[in-house]
Amino acid sequence: MQAIAENIPLLVQGIAYTVALTLLGYVLALIVGTVLAVCRVSPIPPLRWAATIYVEIFRNIPLLSLLILIAFGLPDVGLRLPYFWCGVLGLTLSSAAFVCENVRSGINTVPVGHAEAARSIGLGFFGTLRYVVLPQAFRTMIQPLVNVFIGTVIGSALCSAIAVSEITWVTQTLNIQYAQAVIMFLVAGAVYLGMSLGGSALGGALERAVSPDPHGSSRRRNTLDVTAGAQA
Amino acid sequence: MTPTPFRPGRRAVVAAAAALPVGIALAACSSDTGAGPDLGGGSDDGGAGSPFGDAVASGPVAADDVVSGSAWATAIKEKDKLVRGGTLANQVFSLASTSGGQPTGFDAGLTQLLAQYILGDGGAEKVEYIDTTVETRETLVENGTVDCVIATYSITPERLEVINFAGPYYLSGTAIQVRTEDKDTISGPKDLTGLKIVTQSNSTGVQAAEENIPDYDESLVQTLPDNESCVAALKQGRADAYVLDQGVLLGNSAADPEVTVVGDPFVDDPYGVGLSKDDDDALEFVNTFLQEIIDSGTWKDLWTATIGEVIDGEAPEPPVPGDLPA
Amino acid sequence: MSASTAPAAPASRATRPRRTSSTATQVLFDAPGPKGRARIALLSILSSVAILAVIGLGLWQFQKNGQLDPNKWVVYLRADYLAFLGRGLLGTLKVTAVAAVVAFPFGLLLALARLSRFGALSRAATVWIEFFRGIPMLLVVYAFLLALPAYGVTVPRFWMLVIPMILVSAATTAEVFRAGIKAVDVGQHEAAAAIGLGRRDALLSVILPQAVRLVLPSLILALVTLLKDSTLGYVVSYNELQFQGKTMVSITRYLVQTYVVVSIIYIALNFLLTRIALALDARMKARASAS
Repeated sequence: MQAIAENIPLLVQGIAYTVALTLLGYVLALIVGTVLAVCRVSPIPPLRWAATIYVEIFRNIPLLSLLILIAFGLPDVGLRLPYFWCGVLGLTLSSAAFVCENVRSGINTVPVGHAEAARSIGLGFFGTLRYVVLPQAFRTMIQPLVNVFIGTVIGSALCSAIAVSEITWVTQTLNIQYAQAVIMFLVAGAVYLGMSLGGSALGGALERAVSPDPHGSSRRRNTLDVTAGAQA
Repeated sequence: MTPTPFRPGRRAVVAAAAALPVGIALAACSSDTGAGPDLGGGSDDGGAGSPFGDAVASGPVAADDVVSGSAWATAIKEKDKLVRGGTLANQVFSLASTSGGQPTGFDAGLTQLLAQYILGDGGAEKVEYIDTTVETRETLVENGTVDCVIATYSITPERLEVINFAGPYYLSGTAIQVRTEDKDTISGPKDLTGLKIVTQSNSTGVQAAEENIPDYDESLVQTLPDNESCVAALKQGRADAYVLDQGVLLGNSAADPEVTVVGDPFVDDPYGVGLSKDDDDALEFVNTFLQEIIDSGTWKDLWTATIGEVIDGEAPEPPVPGDLPA
Repeated sequence: MSASTAPAAPASRATRPRRTSSTATQVLFDAPGPKGRARIALLSILSSVAILAVIGLGLWQFQKNGQLDPNKWVVYLRADYLAFLGRGLLGTLKVTAVAAVVAFPFGLLLALARLSRFGALSRAATVWIEFFRGIPMLLVVYAFLLALPAYGVTVPRFWMLVIPMILVSAATTAEVFRAGIKAVDVGQHEAAAAIGLGRRDALLSVILPQAVRLVLPSLILALVTLLKDSTLGYVVSYNELQFQGKTMVSITRYLVQTYVVVSIIYIALNFLLTRIALALDARMKARASAS
């Protein structure tokens, strides 16, 4: 307990870093991933190929390898970012690949006829996307995107390997100092569990809120969708 | 039998007879030209007759009753191999060879001498090298994955609570490594105020920095899990100085002309042989061994063949094994 | 009986037709007319130029910093370098295989426990699954490396990596199995009951064989996750690919090159596994919609 009491500022800072890494990484991944998804299904072949290659690289590279390459490899080719932003970049690049694939498979669930109808009443690309495609695709994408969020939460722990003083780094450092392993693991575990369960709950609430049928929404989750690949 | 000794390459290492001169290894690795450095010892033109090989070959062999008097040594003799924890990536203390030779360096030589001492002639080749890092050493000794850790391993009161140390077998000290272009502006801890410092997690560097740098600022210290990342951070300007025991830093400088060790060590780092507390007889056994190689002059020969290549001057007086810091 | 009827289950649920990426294209983009085609051609050229410029810029940065020096790359074709990394790859494959062999059955048991009618068992399994899905594997590895030894619990290095892999993977595959079991059509339960099978017999001989088939692609993807997780061997000094790469960097100082080569190996392996999973999935869906 003493180890906790004496190090409140350090622990708070660790939690702040973990939250910041996760949120920044995730939000940026949502943006990058959606743009990639549009590229991936666009009628312009070079964009499609580029997005496909991006996805294949970043969903298949282990996050730890990616982080080390960004933190210690990039400076050797002339790009040196602060450790924290290396972490954010790594999480973004990796999670964006999964966002892209989930968005793509979400768009796939929208019947072509709906989009054609939208276009025939004069909606442009963004109008179709905004008023017809996304509202329908969104609901099916929530659960997969919650999984990407959990992946980002868990992935943020690996940033301790590149000297980002997030909560895993802080608790392990204090563990070495105070040798009070159990309490330190409880703290770190609680932070991660809180974030991933919180994300799940938020996703669930969102799913219910946008569901046209508030009672029958859970069936859809039972289908197995492997198109997005495996997130570490 | 645990699954851990999974190292197919070991057979290749064991197969070759003689050790390689560190000088050749250093020459091969410090140059940045040609077809790239060997992953360790250089070509197979070394062998017996090299100072390192001779130093190891000249080592003592324990009498049978000495070995049988120690349960720890007897167990090693029964399995006919010594399992050592350490690194194989330190140019001066312990460097792997993939071209078939034995690892070279001061710690590697000491390991081979210990194996020969227990297992008799040819014992120097019966070593299984298991990789450990600063973070994993204590655990791997405690759980019996390795028989001993010989890895520029500083004896500290904290570590003594968890494991035993034979030795000290070498008196090193915490030193400072900087980018070679900075070697004239930084010469000791007093010059590090306000500079960014990197060191390894769980190492002696953190405390040494805290206690010796004037106006020490914790927020300027970054800890990374391994030596490779620390060197990268230093070279890439993420840090201005790398604080750790000299043994590791000398290895880095030998491999890489872009980094240089400056000044004298400013905190004593006596290196010991890490042993499990469960093997209490091992402590005395290894200390006896260390005393024997010191008395016979083998210690000095080994120093000259390895550390002597990168430090100017004569071999220092060996430490007194068993003389642990309080 | 299960073999021939299995695909029918998802088929009845799959009310929407089979979709490919071209359907997504049709959803977002109208079929191009002559003007549209001209625009696509123009944009193709522009985007090609942009992409090539980005790649060129990257390569130029490499060149400028001397990282394209062929000497720093050809060494990875040398026998000793390949053997060094090969040893790591073997370690990676070994931990992945052992972890999968234990974790997948364990995951199935967890899934069955979670679906069990015994409230306590089901709740315990749920807590267990949510716990190990929600915390980073790194934390579990640290527990085995640094925390448990302080309480006298030590395991060999190999298991310090494999046990956390098993714990985490079992929790995620449990959810995969659960989804698979639930995806088996209700009619199958009813049919099993109709021919007089008890709950356990129905589960073992009717539901599970179908569920396992359904989750096969997802299990292959779980293998990809395991392979990625094995990089944490870096933390416990287990000689897997990432750790061997690290050691190699220390000896050669070719940091960028070594980690790029290591990453390419991981990407190639995982790409292959992902392809297999997707192909299997597509084949199963095609069969399902055909029947």
